[in-house]
Amino acid sequence: MRVIKKISFGIYTITFLMAVVLSSCQQKIDIKLPEYKEKLVVEASIETGKTTQVLLSMTAPYFGNVDLSNPARFFVKGAFITVTDGTIIDTLKELDPNTGYLYLGTKLIGHPGGVYLMTIKYNNNTYTAVTNIINPIPLDSIYFKAERDTFGYCWGHLTDPVGQGNCYRWFAKRITKDQFFAAPFNSAFDDKFIDGTSFDFSYERPPQPNKESEYANELNAGFYSVGDTVIVKFCTIGTKEYLFWRSFYANKSSNGNPFSAPANIQSNVSGGEVIGAFCGYSPSFDTLIIKK
Amino acid sequence: MLKKILILTLFFPVYGIAQSFTISGYVKDKSNGESAIGANVYVKEGMIGASTNTYGFFSLTLPAGKYTVVCSYVGYVSFTDSINLKENISKTILLDPKGKDLNEVDVTAEKTDENIQSTQMSSVQLDIAQIKKLPAFMGEVDILKAIQLLPGVKSAGDGNSGFYVRGGGPDQNLILLDDATIYNAAHLLGFFSVFNGDAIQNVTLIKGGMPAQYGGRLSSVLDISMKEGNSQRLQVDGGIGAIASRLTIQGPIKKDKASFIISARRTYLDVLSKPFFKYVRPKSNFAGSSYYFFDLNAKLNWQISKKDRLYLSGYYGRDIFKFKDTESSFSVNVPWGNAVACLRWNHLFNAKLFSNASISYTDYDFSFTASQSNFELTIFSGIKDWTAKYDLVFIPNPKHTFKTGVNYIFHTFTPSNVSAKQGETTFDIGKIIRLYSHDAAIYVADDWEITKRLKVNAGLRFSYFAQVGPFTRYVKDPLGKTIDTAVYGNGKKVVDYHGLEPRASIRYSFTKSLSVKASYTRNYQYIHLASISSVSLPTDVWMPSTDLIKPELGNQYALGVFKNFNHDMFESSVEVYYKTMKNQIDYKEGAQPQDNVFDNPDNAFTFGTGEAYGAEFFLKKRKGKFTGWVGYTLSWTWRQFSEINYGKRYLAKYDRRHDASLVLTYDPNKVWTFGLVFVYGTGNRGTLPNGLFAYEGGVNYDYGLRNSYKFPDYSRLDISATYTPDRDKQIKRKQGRIERRYERRGKDITQIKLPRAWAKHYQGSWTLSIFNVYNRHNPYLIYFDAKGDFLKGDYTVQGKQVSLFPILPTITWNFKF
Repeated sequence: MRVIKKISFGIYTITFLMAVVLSSCQQKIDIKLPEYKEKLVVEASIETGKTTQVLLSMTAPYFGNVDLSNPARFFVKGAFITVTDGTIIDTLKELDPNTGYLYLGTKLIGHPGGVYLMTIKYNNNTYTAVTNIINPIPLDSIYFKAERDTFGYCWGHLTDPVGQGNCYRWFAKRITKDQFFAAPFNSAFDDKFIDGTSFDFSYERPPQPNKESEYANELNAGFYSVGDTVIVKFCTIGTKEYLFWRSFYANKSSNGNPFSAPANIQSNVSGGEVIGAFCGYSPSFDTLIIKK
Repeated sequence: MLKKILILTLFFPVYGIAQSFTISGYVKDKSNGESAIGANVYVKEGMIGASTNTYGFFSLTLPAGKYTVVCSYVGYVSFTDSINLKENISKTILLDPKGKDLNEVDVTAEKTDENIQSTQMSSVQLDIAQIKKLPAFMGEVDILKAIQLLPGVKSAGDGNSGFYVRGGGPDQNLILLDDATIYNAAHLLGFFSVFNGDAIQNVTLIKGGMPAQYGGRLSSVLDISMKEGNSQRLQVDGGIGAIASRLTIQGPIKKDKASFIISARRTYLDVLSKPFFKYVRPKSNFAGSSYYFFDLNAKLNWQISKKDRLYLSGYYGRDIFKFKDTESSFSVNVPWGNAVACLRWNHLFNAKLFSNASISYTDYDFSFTASQSNFELTIFSGIKDWTAKYDLVFIPNPKHTFKTGVNYIFHTFTPSNVSAKQGETTFDIGKIIRLYSHDAAIYVADDWEITKRLKVNAGLRFSYFAQVGPFTRYVKDPLGKTIDTAVYGNGKKVVDYHGLEPRASIRYSFTKSLSVKASYTRNYQYIHLASISSVSLPTDVWMPSTDLIKPELGNQYALGVFKNFNHDMFESSVEVYYKTMKNQIDYKEGAQPQDNVFDNPDNAFTFGTGEAYGAEFFLKKRKGKFTGWVGYTLSWTWRQFSEINYGKRYLAKYDRRHDASLVLTYDPNKVWTFGLVFVYGTGNRGTLPNGLFAYEGGVNYDYGLRNSYKFPDYSRLDISATYTPDRDKQIKRKQGRIERRYERRGKDITQIKLPRAWAKHYQGSWTLSIFNVYNRHNPYLIYFDAKGDFLKGDYTVQGKQVSLFPILPTITWNFKF
């Protein structure tokens, strides 16, 4: 997956490099953007064995006299969120009403086959989203392959069931070193190219949440190394959720990449000016101890 | 087929006038035998005339009598001859190129008001000699850059040779090199065009009122003629420039009967840049990269008989880019380019009936191979055409010029295909997808002078297009999943389209130097180029009309006033246009290049409409020591797609409210020539992020409305100076030195022989071009430099602008012998 997805990036990179090679000058400019209306950002998930988790915030204007040093002012407080599977209605609890942002379910626990409807009431608006948890499709195996010295990527071997429409998302974390499961760039893929086949693919080590800039400065960013113990959480997701993640990464890669088409994110939440998704995950776990 | 056309021509009314005879023939440059395209041939008595076609042919039918025939052509001494027309006369007129100093003593009454008198509007013809006087970027004479200096034609900015005519996209221009289509006219992502100035003779651009013999594109025709080769003597031209060297050899195979020209050009950017990479970042990703391009033009022409001529022309060019990341094992190899060949046969049935038959082949290929470790992936795409054409021109008398013809193209499209292998294993990612189609058209047109004041050009074109198998259609559900495939067998029709394209222009002249013209053009375009990114890249894929892609349809209305001043020294025009375009193509939001793979590329397309209108002002001085022009365009260009920008109408990327250019050349004497180009344009439009938000602990962007951001304005001044040493003086001086030496040594002066290098034909020249004189930082692209993490509160963002070229002086040495 890495290489195929890297191709488009490759094409752009090359163009960009050629441009930069020939370019003489770069300069800072002031950009005046049109008036901006803030949007609601919904980052919601439910996974097998867990309750719903929702992060709610507002977008911040990209330029202008907005103070970005206090991101908490963009957190959404006092939203009313429910999730139902048709029988149980779970009202989410705001973890800390003083800060807002994080809302957690209390009684509805995700399971394969479940279909979930989320409703958010905030600021006189109602937003809804539906997701489901699909049966898990585990990896056949995972392994490590060095790229240079003791550094390398984590590889998986997957047998995709016959029939198009399977979508996947990869998370990983290193025991003791990482706090959270995190997803690498382009972590979601579908079986358009690989339907019904067995194949190998690799992912690099993702940055931990809120540590992208630290990660960017790490000497061996992207690599796992001998001595790491990696847990891979490999999830099956629905097609709509896959399209969200695909557009999410297209959006990510189009930033700073003037050669790509501007990509707006295909949210699966409806109800007005809103960005985000409610995503059901069906994980299976593998552990890899990287030895010499 | 030939028979049918002949029959067709019989239906033309015959305007036979009793006792009329025809004077016909070719107009040529006396010094090298090149055809003079668009030269005026007329008789002084009544000022009745004709102009030569792209082969230099003219035909003028007049009542019997005595006439003074004049032939005038810009840059040449007018030819005058008295004839007694009592039988058909066939004549080859040889014109002497005007020496520079002849400029002022030009007293012949020139008929240079073609721009006023012809029905053709919205058209410009540029002579390569004229283009060569302008400042050239990096010393490379570029005809695409030159036409972008004309009103109504917009460039996309530095580093882009895609051009935009009256609000149309770069794929809506039909670019013909000696009758063969060129699909990608750019080298190095558009920094240079594929047309080597040394091999080109003439350039004609038609941006509106497209005559019926042209079709297949909505916006314009750029008709480029290659030189035919010197039919008088062997000639070698060459040049050494800042980034490329050129060499052209031409000469007679049989004097006055057959000649050839071969022209080659190659860049040495790769050679020059290697040490640069090493110096800048010894271990950088660039170290393993290289880039170069080359072109090869060749043409043969052979006059078989008085009535038959054969032309064989060819072009081959390649860009090759290599990239190797020295740190990881990632490497890339990207070659792309055009290959074109065309065989044409001119035949004169008689002095009034001219025909041209041609067969041409064109091929544009792109491939991209990336490998990492033992994984290798190749993406390739292209388009290949076989074209057959037959055109007839019938000139019964000076009041009518009938044209009719047919053409047929067989297209083979190769949209992005992929092959991949890992180690020994080759992945089966589906068979290679190719798309095939038939593309045919037939037309008739008449250029009819109804009265002295009123002239009409009416034409009708009928076009037919069919996509045929083998073809596999992937049928998608709303989420983009393939739910079905439809397979069409070899040659089986998938879908077909046809359309009538009426064309009309009308000219009404108030005086000899003032006319008003109006035109209407309807065009169908059956092949399409969709571009993901904001600049045209070689990765863009040509697609035929399919069951999903309907043909593009354009309607253009134009109105203009044309006025010449001061004995045709100045020509001026004001034109307004309004244009609608249907079935325009773009990628859906967030589409990615790999979406083409294992799918029909058209599944990633979305369709919409376009609208463009504007006014163009043009003032040109064409005689004297100072020549040049001023152009200004005021225009609006809109697009509307249901799946882009929430279905709301938006300004196109290259919408440009104001676009102005000033072009000047100054020829004070034989030795010096100066050129100046100034351009100013409203900035391009783009889509930038308006908001940001945190998601999964990273920062993401919320884009604003499509093209809601306007880039800073573009402006640039270029100047050039060409020094051509006076050869006669040089030789005299050399001779004097030798004479003195001979005298000192007491030798016989009459025995003096100059060294070969002092041969009379040798001529060298030096050109200094300064690009971007006041070092304006024009935006090539804008990006954001963001630092920190949003949720930690240390996030900052800075907009940055990349400009390509600072002030850039280059020196080019050209020679000829």
